[in-house]
Formats: sequence, structure tokens, C-alpha cells
Amino acid sequence: MKRVLSLLLVLMMAMTLMGSASAETVQEALDAASSMTNEELYEKAKAEIASGAQLNFYSTTSFAEKAASNFEAAYPELAGKIIYAEIDDGETYTKLTNQIGSGVKDSPDMALVQNGPDLKVNLLDDGLAFNYFPAALKDVVPAAYQDPTVVTFINSLMIYNNKEGSVGVKNVWQLTEPEWNGKVFFKDPTNETVNLNFLIMLTSPEWTEKLAKAYEAYYGKAWEKGEFDTAAYEWINGFLKNVNYTFTSASKIATGIASGAAGNLGIFVFSKLRKVDEADRPNLSVLQFENDVDCFSGFMYNVYSTVCSDTDCPYTCALFINWLLSEEGFAGEKSWNSSQGYYSPNTTIGKPEGLEDEPYTYWDGKLVFEDLNYIDSLDNYNEIYRFINVRVSK
Amino acid sequence: MSTIQRDLRREPLRYRMKAFFAKPANLILLFFLIALVVLSLMPMVTMLTNMFTVHAGTEKKMLRVPVGSWTLNHFELLFADPEWSRSNFWTPLLNSLIVATGSGILGILIGGTVAWFITRSDLKCKKFISAVFVFPYMMPAWTLALFWTNMFQNSKVGGGVTGMVESLFGICMPEWFVFGLFPMIMVIGLHYSPFAYLLIGGILKNMDATLEESATILKASRFTIIRRVTIPIVMPAILSTFLLIFSSGFASYTVPVFLGSATRTFTLSTKMRALIQAGYEGQGYIMAFLSILLGTAILGINQYFTGKRKSFTTVSGKSGQVSLVKLRGANGIISAVLIVLTLFFAIMPLVSFALESVIKQAGNYSFSNMTLDFWIGTESSVFETGMPSGILMNGTMWWGLLRQVGLAVTVSLIVGTCGMLIGYACVRRRGTWLARAVENLAFFPYLMPAMAFGTIYLAVATSASFKWMYGSFFLLGLVASVKFLPFASRSGVNSMMQIAPEIEEAATIFGVPWVTRMSRILFPIQKSAIISGYLLPVINVMREVALFTLLVPYPRYLLTTMLFSFNETGYAQYGSAVTLLIIVIIILINSLVNKLTGASFDKGIGG
Repeated sequence: MKRVLSLLLVLMMAMTLMGSASAETVQEALDAASSMTNEELYEKAKAEIASGAQLNFYSTTSFAEKAASNFEAAYPELAGKIIYAEIDDGETYTKLTNQIGSGVKDSPDMALVQNGPDLKVNLLDDGLAFNYFPAALKDVVPAAYQDPTVVTFINSLMIYNNKEGSVGVKNVWQLTEPEWNGKVFFKDPTNETVNLNFLIMLTSPEWTEKLAKAYEAYYGKAWEKGEFDTAAYEWINGFLKNVNYTFTSASKIATGIASGAAGNLGIFVFSKLRKVDEADRPNLSVLQFENDVDCFSGFMYNVYSTVCSDTDCPYTCALFINWLLSEEGFAGEKSWNSSQGYYSPNTTIGKPEGLEDEPYTYWDGKLVFEDLNYIDSLDNYNEIYRFINVRVSK
Repeated sequence: MSTIQRDLRREPLRYRMKAFFAKPANLILLFFLIALVVLSLMPMVTMLTNMFTVHAGTEKKMLRVPVGSWTLNHFELLFADPEWSRSNFWTPLLNSLIVATGSGILGILIGGTVAWFITRSDLKCKKFISAVFVFPYMMPAWTLALFWTNMFQNSKVGGGVTGMVESLFGICMPEWFVFGLFPMIMVIGLHYSPFAYLLIGGILKNMDATLEESATILKASRFTIIRRVTIPIVMPAILSTFLLIFSSGFASYTVPVFLGSATRTFTLSTKMRALIQAGYEGQGYIMAFLSILLGTAILGINQYFTGKRKSFTTVSGKSGQVSLVKLRGANGIISAVLIVLTLFFAIMPLVSFALESVIKQAGNYSFSNMTLDFWIGTESSVFETGMPSGILMNGTMWWGLLRQVGLAVTVSLIVGTCGMLIGYACVRRRGTWLARAVENLAFFPYLMPAMAFGTIYLAVATSASFKWMYGSFFLLGLVASVKFLPFASRSGVNSMMQIAPEIEEAATIFGVPWVTRMSRILFPIQKSAIISGYLLPVINVMREVALFTLLVPYPRYLLTTMLFSFNETGYAQYGSAVTLLIIVIIILINSLVNKLTGASFDKGIGG
């Protein structure tokens, strides 16, 4: 009996050591991969696939499916081995933290995730996932988007139903007025973390000040502390009071506003306009393309790539990330760049002609950009979250 | 001397053990006792500990302590913070109670009334009404919820999307009618009314008619007879039915999600999932635990009533001939109304889903707005919708269907076999503590709402020792097998009770091995009950959402969770197409069950 127990103990220790060795190997492989050419990576990826691996990846953006099939077409010897699964934003980190290292067949090798602060706290800080960024792109992708690696930016804009003309929103404080009650559509921020992060970003000193100025411009008097500590909290309170949560996804908001009542306005993912039926599309107008809004007309968030620490195909993951950051990958047929609202961090890739959109730089200052470091550094995250949650739940 | 004493003490035990293990029934009971303790009770313990620990995600980020640390924060937030507590616990709890009570009453009113007409009156077209009336019970409850939305959403409520009623008749129903507590009560009540019909109808059908006849002779009016004779007799059945519908309504998850999201009308189940999804696992586990406590209490009360029912004799043998109440001139109208209503709720959902799966623009039902792209479209035609192809051309859908069918078959094999073995062993060892313990443990999962049960297993699969289970097919199979075991074990016990032990004993005397006795004697005798024990879990798995929603590795893993994801993320046409597909599959399986077992839901009640 003792022998059996000793043997089991030795086996368990060996497995633990192998586990940690494997995590180091993935990190080392990614380090090595970052300075390899795509041809060298392809050779390594072919070897991984030949040894039985397949790249399972989770993504919160459905376009990744098309990116994967284009990738397989470009690297035919990997065909059929890049397996995509769409995952809901809200449960991304519960799923990933539990599946990484579980040993379950087909658990993810990498993921394209939103909500950078959660990526950092739950995966990167705990060594459950690693960052990978190709050295060859260091000069064309701003340093802020290299660690963690951003593969695309996505914007959510104020878009409204124009069947009865313009809604005339020129200042964000208008959206807190009673006349907008039930006419503003926004996805539940307690279920959609990028929406939550947008509201949290408003509490930053920079946006609080901008909101106070916009308040003064709209009401003709300076904002004063009263029921709320800052102008940001007051705006969030007034805005959430008016929000209509009928639609549970950005696609539903887009199609619902397009086919619904005149004057309804939503803050939703710009690219979802592609899901609106052609006959309804003329019913929608992007507020920013009509006039500037004091002090923002939506928000911008990042989609990151991250490699799971237990992957058995780190080189394939690296090659796929290279692909997503490249012109062919990002701007290939029916890829992210073919739709409005997706922007590559690779500054050499611009938006194509003919789309009702503007380049990434255009949105700077007009939208609230998600800042991973600011949200991560918050000491009162708990308090802000509670403030939002009780207003959403009513 | 001491050696002899020790041997004497040991010998009888050894023989007792040998005798104990020589009986297959004892071995089976012991096996299931261990298995059910491990699978039912131990996960509960894991869930209890999870109510006091910090989880990855939001909790870790908010509390800034390592995952797994002990905390009382979940309790503090859920119960001590007035605002949080009201919006995240008390209001959802109140809503759950309102929905459960309302649907219980409605289900009984509808089901009981139809049962009375079918069993106690000379209503026309009884067979047809009886057969069609049980149809909504076969369909998953959420299909009715989706149907309700498709029908009644309109330009005046929610997002202003036109539904069928507005499109066809120009009528706009108010918001309380379309979203919120009222439609939840209507849908759950309608879904469970066939259940009330079956239970109350069974009692009415077998009721001693002399009681009513005596009242008639004494010149009591028809209303007085119903009030003073009929209702008191069926009262235990009514109470029991009410509690069962109440319990199902309280635990319902999918209906409140589809009908409550728009107006932020949360129930305990939907809030539980919302909290878990938002990263508040600890609070979700507390709510799951409270749901289980409440479920146990309700079913305890039900057992009390059904136990009391033994004293209510409904079958006396004195009067087999029931004198039917003559509806006279009202017969035609009542029959027509019932036919229209039953057809509406049985057929219209199918028509509605078929239509919604082919229209491009919501609310526009003209032929020019129709396309089959959502079914058979290729990449070039459906790319804009965000899907790679129509659902019949989509590998993800076929994989989802394959996994769901695989899961249903696996679970049915496990549940059917276990139910039969438990039935056999419990009946053969009836009266022993072991048999009682196994029978009760096998029934234990029935007390837990599906969402809460899934939550328990989520707690297990996310613990360090069982991470290998998380997101696996194995976990789904396990959780479904335990959850659907109660009916199979009860059915196993009931069917085995009907077989006299002498039949098996005779074979034992002739030295026939146990396996042969089971396969050549017991199985053939109770063939149809056993087949039904195997096939019913297939239907359960094919329509289950709440149990799997937290456990699938990703939303499109199974067909039902895929449908749920489609509806949440705005793929309305794909959602309708998958719903239609699921309904058709369930109807086919149900027909198969009926054909193989000769049983049907309404058998024995309808005309």
C-alpha cells in the first residue's frame, strides 16, 4: 500500500513539474516566436499540427470566424485545425480561468477577448495566459497596444432612428432629460463589461472635468456637488434612468432601432449596422456624422489576443496573431476591415474607401477610449460598480 | 480463550456480510448509496463552501484578495446593503413568488376547467380537444414565451418592433401585456395547464359518481354540486397540482429571461444567472441554496398533501357510470372556443416560428420580405448577418445537434438503466433503511431547480480538484443523469412493484443467474414502462436549457444553448429556425415513445 502511495505521490509531483515546465515552454516558445518570420512559424505550426494539436480559440467577436477561415486558406496545411467558438463577454473570464489547465479536450489554446482590466487581473497576472507580440511590428503598432496585444479596436456610437428627422442631440446631458426616458438603448453594463468600462472611464478626472464643462454649456451654470460627488456620477445616474433594456445585444439594438419607433437612440457597436436589413438601413443615422456632441458621441474599446498557458500549439497561436495584425489578415476578404467600426492597431492599415466610416485617429477626442491601466488602478472600483449595478437593476 | 472469542465475534459478521453481498439487490443499493451521496450531497457541500470564498473575475477584482480566500462579503452585499439587497434579492424573490402563485392558479383554472368539461360533460370533439390540449406541455415552455413575444410585441412598447398581431390587425397591446410578470404568468400557466388537466382529470374520471348523483336527487343546483361535492373531492389533487406548478414556476428560468429582460423584471433564477455571469458567483450560490431550500419546502408540503389524499376515496366501485352534465345549447359554443384556443396555442407557435425564420425585416410578413437564406443560405448570401451560412448549412449547428442528441442518448441509457436497477433493488429490499435511503437520495435532485442544480455542479467543476471536468461533455452527461434520475427511479419502483417476487424466486430456485432473470423475466414483463423510462430522458435533455447554460464550454456547444445564445445576441431568424427544429425533434421522439409504449399523455382522460 505504501509503495502504491509513494508511486502515486511521485507521479503527481512529476505531473506538477511537467505542468510548470510546460507553462515555461509556452512562454519560451512565444518569446522565440516573436522574432521568427512567418515562414519559420509556419514550419513550426505544421509540426505542432502534425503531432496532433489543433488551435481552439474563443472570441467575443464573430468576425474572428472569417479571419480563421482566411488564415486556413493562406496556410493550407493548417486547414481544419483552427477551431473557433464564440463566447459571451460576461462569462469570458469564468470560462477561461476554469478551462486553462483543466486538461479538458478541446479547451482553448488562445482567446480574443475584450475587457483588458479583467484580462490582466485574471489571466496575465496569474500566469494563466501569456502575451505575444511579433517583434517585426514593433514600429508600426503603438507601444501601448503591444502588451497586452490589441488586435482590433471597436467603437460603439450614438446612432438613432431618423424616420422623423434629426433628434438634435448636441450635448450628452440631453440624454439625461426626462424626454429621453425609455428612448435610449444601451446594453446592460453589468452583463457587457465594455459598456461598464465606458461608464467607469467617465469617472476619471479627465472625463469628469469634460462632463462638468458640458453641463455648464448645456444648463448655463457650473456643476455643483449635491446628491452626487461628481458630474460623472450625476450623468451616469440620469443616463441609466432613461435607458431602455428591451434589447439584450448590440445586434438587437441595431435592428430594433432601425425597424422601431422614430427618435429612438442607441449607443451600440457601429459594425452591427451590417446586420440591419437593407430596407431598414436608411432609417439609421450616426450622430457624430451629423454634428459634434459635447462631450462624446460613444466609446472605443480594445480586443486583445492572449495565449493560454497550457496550449500545445504556441507557434500556431503566434502565427495566427501575426495574421490578425497583418494587412491580409485584418483587411482580407470579408475580414474586420470590410466593416465599419473595426480599426487595426497596425498604423499601416487604413479604412478602405467607400465605407461610411473614418480612420481610427478621427475618433480620438470624440469617443471615450477604454484605458486598461486607469481601470486597473482604481481603488474604488467596488463603489463605482455598486453605484451602476443598483441603478441598472432598479 | 481470547482468540476463540475474537473468532466468534468475527464469524457471524463475515457470514452476514457474505449473505448480504450474495443478494444483487443489496449490491445495487450499496453502489447507488455511495454514488448518490457523492453526486447529490457532496456537490451541495462544495456549493456551501463557495458561498464563503472569493472567485476569479469581478470578486477578485473588487476585493483585491487571492481567489479562494474566505469572505463574508457575498452575504454582506446580498443582505446587508439595502439598495443592493432590494434590487438583487428581494425584488427578484417577490417576482418569483408572484409568477409562481399566478401561474399555479392560472394552470389550475384552465386545466381544471377543461378536465371538468372532458370528464363530466357531454362536450363535443372531446378526443380532439384532449389530444391537442396537452400539446403545449410537450413543447419547451420557452417556445411559448418566444411565441408570445413574436405575437404581441409592437411599435408602442420596448424597442417598437412590430409583431404579428399589430402587423395583421393593427392592435398594439400595452407593455404590461407584452413584457413582465403578466406574460410570464400566462405562459407558465398555459404551459402547465395540461399538467393540471392530467392530474385533476384523472381524479374526476375515477370519481364516484354517486356522490354527485345523490346531490342531484336532493335538488342541488349544478353550481352547488361543483362547489360542495366535486371541488372538495378533487381539492387534494388541486393543492398538489398547485404546488407542483408553483414549484416549476418558481424555478423557471427561460420564460422570465425571454419575457422579463426588456423590462428588467428579474426573478430569482434570472438574477442568479445574471449575478454569476457578472462575476458574482458567491451571491449566485447563496441564491441557488435558498432556491433549493424553498423547493424542498414546497415539495415537502406537497408530499404532506398527497399523503393526506390517501384518506380521500375517489374510486369506490359503487358507480362506474358517470352521468354527464348536458351542456345543451352552450355545447357548440364551448366546444368551438376550446378548439380554437387549443389549436391556437398548439399550432400557431409552429406557424409563428416558421414565419419568423424566413423574414428579413421584423414585422414585415409580405412574400417579398421572405428568404430561405437563414436555413440554407451560403456565405455569400448571409455574410452580412454575422453567420457563415444558414443553419442547415452550418457545421456549428450540426455539431450542436449531434452533441445534444449524443447527450440525450447517453443520459437516457444511464438514467433508464439506473432507474430500473434502483426500482428493482428498492422493491426487493423494501422496508430496509438502505432501500429508503437510496429511494430518497435518488429523488433529491427533483427538489432542486435546474438552474440551481447546474450552479452546484459549476461550483464542483470550478474547484481545483475537479477542473478536469469543467466544460466537458462528461460533466453535462453527469449533471443531466443525476437531475433526470428522480422520475426514472420512481417509475422503476412503480413498475417493479407490480411484479410479484414469486416470479423471480421461482427462477432463483432453478438456479437462473440474476442477469438472465432480469433480461428474460423482469424486463419483458415491464417492457413498455422500461422503454418509457429510457425514452423520456431523451425528451428532457432535448429541451433543457437552464441546466446546461452555465456548464457548456461555450454558448453554441449544444443546440438548446445555441438557440438561447441566438436569441440573446440578436440572431432572431436563426433562433426561430432552431426552435422549430427542436420542437419537431421533440414531437418525433414523443410520437416514438407513444408508438413503442402505447402510452400517451392524455390517455385515460380524453373522451
